[in-house]
Amino acid sequence: MAKERQARRAKKADNFFDYTLLFTVLFLVVFGLVVLYSVSSYDGTLKHGDNAYFLKKQLLATGLGMVALVMAIVVDYHFICKFAPAIYGISVLLIFLIWTPLGRTINGARRWLYFGGISVQPAEIVKVAVIVFLSVLIAGIGTSIKDIRSFFVILAFAAVPAALLLWITRNLSSALIVGGIAAVILFMADPDYLKYFGLAALAVIVALFFVLFSLHKAESAEGTGDFRQNRIVAWLHPEDFEEETSFQTIQALYAIGSGGTFGKGLGESIQKYKIPEAQNDMVFAIICEELGAFGGVCVLGLFGLLIYRCMLIAINAPDTLGSLLVAGVMGHFALQVILNIAVVTNTIPNTGVTLPFISYGGTSVIFLLIEIGLVLNVSLRIRKQEQIA
Amino acid sequence: MGSRNRKSKRKAPPLTREQRRKKEHRELRQLFRSRKQKQLLFFWIVILAFIFLGYRVIMISYKRGDEYTKQVLLHQQYDSRTLPFKRGEILDVNGTKLAYSEKVYNLILDSNEITSSRKENAQQETLKALNQYFQIDTAEVEAFIRENPTNMYRVLKKRISYDVVEPFLKAKEENKAICGIWFEQEYKRRYPGGDMASAMIGFAGTDNNGQCGLEKYYDDTLNGTNGREYGYFTEESTIERTTIPPKDGNTLVTSIDTNLQSIVEKYVNAFAEEHRGEYREGEDGVVNMGVIMMNPNTGEIMAMTDYPNFDLNDPYNLTPFMSEGAAEQLNEEQQMEFLNGIWRDFCISDTYEPGSVAKSMTIAAGLDSGTLLGNETYFCGGKLTVSGHEIKCHKHSGHGMVNLSQALEQSCNVALMQIGEKEGKDTLMKYLSNFNIGLKTNVDLSGEARTNTLVYDPEKMVASDLAISTFGQGYNVTMIQMISAFCSIINGGKYYQPHLVTEIRDSSGTMVKKIEPRVLKQTVSATTSDRMREYLANVCIHGTGKTAVPAGYRIGGKTGTAERQPRDGINYVMSFMGYAPADDPQVVIYCVIDRPNVPDQPHSTLAQDVVRDILTEALPYMHIYRTEELTEEEIQELESKNLLNTSENEATSEEEEAAEGEGEAENLPIDPETGNPIDPNTGEELEIGTEEEDSTPSSDLDGLIGIENDPAEAVSDEFDPGTAAGFDAATAADTGPRGVPKSSQGGVGAGSLIGGGGVSIDYSSDEDEGSGQSGQGTSGSGQNDFGVGLGF
Repeated sequence: MAKERQARRAKKADNFFDYTLLFTVLFLVVFGLVVLYSVSSYDGTLKHGDNAYFLKKQLLATGLGMVALVMAIVVDYHFICKFAPAIYGISVLLIFLIWTPLGRTINGARRWLYFGGISVQPAEIVKVAVIVFLSVLIAGIGTSIKDIRSFFVILAFAAVPAALLLWITRNLSSALIVGGIAAVILFMADPDYLKYFGLAALAVIVALFFVLFSLHKAESAEGTGDFRQNRIVAWLHPEDFEEETSFQTIQALYAIGSGGTFGKGLGESIQKYKIPEAQNDMVFAIICEELGAFGGVCVLGLFGLLIYRCMLIAINAPDTLGSLLVAGVMGHFALQVILNIAVVTNTIPNTGVTLPFISYGGTSVIFLLIEIGLVLNVSLRIRKQEQIA
Repeated sequence: MGSRNRKSKRKAPPLTREQRRKKEHRELRQLFRSRKQKQLLFFWIVILAFIFLGYRVIMISYKRGDEYTKQVLLHQQYDSRTLPFKRGEILDVNGTKLAYSEKVYNLILDSNEITSSRKENAQQETLKALNQYFQIDTAEVEAFIRENPTNMYRVLKKRISYDVVEPFLKAKEENKAICGIWFEQEYKRRYPGGDMASAMIGFAGTDNNGQCGLEKYYDDTLNGTNGREYGYFTEESTIERTTIPPKDGNTLVTSIDTNLQSIVEKYVNAFAEEHRGEYREGEDGVVNMGVIMMNPNTGEIMAMTDYPNFDLNDPYNLTPFMSEGAAEQLNEEQQMEFLNGIWRDFCISDTYEPGSVAKSMTIAAGLDSGTLLGNETYFCGGKLTVSGHEIKCHKHSGHGMVNLSQALEQSCNVALMQIGEKEGKDTLMKYLSNFNIGLKTNVDLSGEARTNTLVYDPEKMVASDLAISTFGQGYNVTMIQMISAFCSIINGGKYYQPHLVTEIRDSSGTMVKKIEPRVLKQTVSATTSDRMREYLANVCIHGTGKTAVPAGYRIGGKTGTAERQPRDGINYVMSFMGYAPADDPQVVIYCVIDRPNVPDQPHSTLAQDVVRDILTEALPYMHIYRTEELTEEEIQELESKNLLNTSENEATSEEEEAAEGEGEAENLPIDPETGNPIDPNTGEELEIGTEEEDSTPSSDLDGLIGIENDPAEAVSDEFDPGTAAGFDAATAADTGPRGVPKSSQGGVGAGSLIGGGGVSIDYSSDEDEGSGQSGQGTSGSGQNDFGVGLGF
C-alpha cells in the first residue's frame, strides 16, 4: 500500500509516460481487430455460422487485456515482481495441467487448458512468466551475473519450461521463443559478448545440420519422414509440395505477390478463402494481399516503432529490474514479429509463430497487453532528470 | 543463490566498507553501460532484420507479383468454386409453373489431369468421348491441351442439359481412361408459357438479374445466396473439401390464372390480327392494347396482358416484330429502345386519358358526398357553355331530360358537367384522389408509372378543367389505377391494393409469407356502391354498354372513348370496364384499346366486343353460370364456339322473351361508313331507357361519331377548324409506347395548366386567363364555336 501511494506520488511528479508506445499499441490492437474480421469472417461462417465469431471472441479477450493493461500500469512493477517465483511456478504447473482432463485439443494439437468455458494457452503465460522471473533473478544477483555459473543456472530456468512446452504440447515455436527471450535477457544483462556469439554460431550450425540431414533423409526415403523435416524440404522447394506440406506457404506467397503495391483493398482478399485458418499464422500474408506491400511494410514499421520505444525505456529505466523487464518484452516482440514474417515470406521454414496483436488468439493478446503494461509501468518511473544504474 | 554469491564475494578480499561500496558501484556502472550498449545493439539487429523482411515482402510482390496473381486467379475457380443457388419459381393460382430455373451444366476441361494421367490412352479416349457425346471438335481440344498442358480450367461447352450429360457420365464410369472432364452447375431460367403474360412476368437471365414485371419487382425474394466449395487444409497436411450449400430462392405464388390469361391473350391477339394493316398499312392491328381481369373482392389480378407479347425464353429476339434486315439496320441503342418498348407493360407503365369510364367516379363522388340525391334530372341540349367555352356532348342533338342513371347509361357529357359544377372542384378532386388517381397503386410489378404530375392541381383548376374532368378528359391515369378504383366503386367501397403475389414459399415449399388482400381505404360508402352497381348494370341493359354483354349473363360496366392528344379527331383510346355478375361482382375486366388500326376509330364497341368474347369464355370457366335466357341466334353462336353447356341453361327455347336487348346490337343494320349499328327508328327522341322501347340510337353513344343519324355532320363537327382556333385541348401528355409526356406548350396563359407534362388545355389565342369569353371571338369561322373533341 505504501509503495502504491509512493508510486502515485511519483506519477504526479515530473515523471515520464510513454504515450507514443501506448498509442502505437492501441493502433495495432484496433488494426488487428479490423484485419482479423476481414480474414476470419469466412472461416467463422464456415465453422460456426457467424462471420463475427472470431472477432467477438477476440474483442472479449482484448477487453480483458485492456483491464489487465491498466492494472499492469498502475501497480508498481516492483510489487508485481515480488511474486515472480510464484508466477513462474504457476505457469510451469499450467503446462503440466494439459495432461489432466482440463487439457483441450484444438486442430489436432493439445495446447490449451479449458476453465469453465474459457480456453487458455499456457505457452503464452509461460513467456511472460519467464520474462518476469529471469529479470528478477538477474537483478537480484547484481554483479555476479559475470560468473559463468549464473549464466547456466539462469539458462536452466528458461530451458525447463521450454523443454516442457516441447515435450508436453509439442509446440516447437513457443519453446524456441521462450529460449530466445532468455537468451536476449541474458545477453543484455551480461557484459560478455563471446559466449553469445558462440551461442548464435552454435544455433546456426545446428540449424544447418538439421537442414542437410532432412534433405538427405528426404532423398533416401522419398518423403516418408516426419512432418517437421518435410517442412524443411518444402521450404527449400515450395513449388514441389504445392498441394501438400508447403500448401500454406505457397498460398501465402501468392497472397503477398498478388497484392501488388497497394493491395486489393480491405476485405478483398481471395487467398483468405484458401489459406486454412488464415487468421492465425498467415495473417500477415493477407494484410499484404489486401493492403499491398505498402501495408505490410507499414505494419513492420509500427512494430519497429514499438521496439524503438521499448529500447528507449529499457535504456532509461530507473533500475536493473525495470530495464531487464523491458528488454525481455522487447525481445519477445522482436522474436515473434521476425519469426512470423520470416515464415510468411518463406525466409525460414514454417514454424507456426503468431503475429502479436493481429493474429487470432485470446490468451496471446491478453498477455501481450500485460507485457506492454509492464513496459509502460517502467516508463512511468523514469524521472525526467534521473539517470540510474 | 544470488545472495550466496554476493556473500562469498564480500568475504574474499578484505576491503574497507568504503572500498567495497565503491567497487560494487563501479561494477554496477560497468554493467549498466554494457547493458545500454547491448540494448542498442539488439535494437539495431532487430531493425536490420525488419528491413530485410520488408525487402523480402517488396521483392515478392515486385518480382513475382504478376506470376502469383495469375496463379491466384487460375486456382480460384479450381479450388474454391461457387455453387449457384436456384432462383425461385413463379406459380399461377393453380400451381402451374410460369417460370422456373433448370439446372444446366458447363463442361470443364482439365488438361493437367489428362496430361498427367497414367493411362496412355487417356487423351485419346477422352477426346473421343467428347466428340461422341458433345460434338466437340477433337482437333481444337487436342491443340489446346498441347499448348496448355497444365491448364486446369477451360470451359468447353456451356449450358448443357442433364439429358446430354447423363450418357457421358455413364460412359465415363465404364471407361476409366476418360478423365480431366468435370461439370460446373448453373441454372437457366425457363418460361413454359413462352410469351404468355410476358410483360407481367418479366424475365431473368443466367445472371439471375430480373428484368421487368414480377421478376424484377421480386428479384430479391426470388434470388438466394450462392454456396461455395473449397479446399480445406488440415493439420495432417491433407486437403479436405468443404461445402457451404447454396440457399435457393423463394417461390412466388401468384393470383394469375393461366387459363384466364390464355383466354384474354387469345382475344387480344385475335383483335390485333383482325385489324392488321386494315387502315395504316404494314402496322399492327393496334398501337397499344391492354386487358386486366381482377377480383374486386381481393384486389388480386387474375389475368393481365398487353399487346404485343414477347417470348420470355428469348426476349432479345427482334424477328417476331420486324424482318431480320430491318433489325440489322438498327444500332444497339435503337434495338434496346425498341425492345424496351416491347417489354414495357402497357397496363401499368403507360398513361392515357380515361374518358367516360371516369364518369362512374364522378357520379359516385356526387352520391357519396351528398351532393347528389339520386332524384336529379338534367337537360342536355347537346352542348354546355362553361365559362365561355362551349363544350359539346357527343350527341350533338342532345339527350333531352335525363335522370342520374340515364346520364351514366347514355354517357351524357352535359349532365356530367352539371353534376361536376354542383359538386365543385374540391369535392371531385378529393374523391379522385381517394380513388388513388394521381397516386401509385403500388401494385407488385416493376415499372408502374407515376401520374402525380398528370392530374389537375385543385388550386389551379378553372371551371373548364372541372367540366372536362367529370368525363375523364384532361388528366391521365394508368389501367391499374382505373381498375382498382372501379373495383372499390362496385365492391362496397373498399379500395384494395392491387396485387399479384398471394404467397411466398421457400425452396422446400414451406410458406414463408402469406399476402392477404389489403384494404387501403374506404372510397365510398356501401350504399353509394349499391346505387352505382344499379346504374352500371343499367348501362349494360339499355345504355351504351349493351354490346359487351355476353349471352346469358347480366353484367354491369361503363364504356369510354377518349380523344388522344393532339386532339385531331383521328386517334382515340377506346375502353370498356365491366364486371360480372351484375348483382354480385366476382370479376372486373378492363379493356383499353389505344389507336386501333381501323379507318374510323372512336367506337367503344371495339373494346366491348373483346370484353364480350373474353367473358363468354371466361365466366363459365370461373363457375359463374348464365342466369338469363338465350335467343336462338345466341345459342347458335355459342354452339359454334363450342361454349354452350345446355345443362345449365334450360330456357333456351323461349325466343320471344329472350329478346331482351342483349342481342340488339347484332340485329341492327350497320352503317357502312362508320361501322356502327344504326337504330332503325331514327333515335332522335331523347326518352331513353325504357326497356320495351329500347330506343337507344346506337350502342355506341360513347363515341363522338356515329351517334348521329347523319354521320357526315358529326364528322364535320369533328374536324371543324374552330376546334383549333378555340378550345384546343392541347397536348401535354402522350400515351405513346414510351409514355413520356411531351412538353406542353400550353403552359402559356392559362391558370389551370398543370405544369410539367400534365394534360392541359391550351387556350391558343390571346384571350385566356381562364376568362369567360375566350374562344368565342376568334373561333367564328366554325359552325361550332368549340372543339368537340372533348369528352364522351
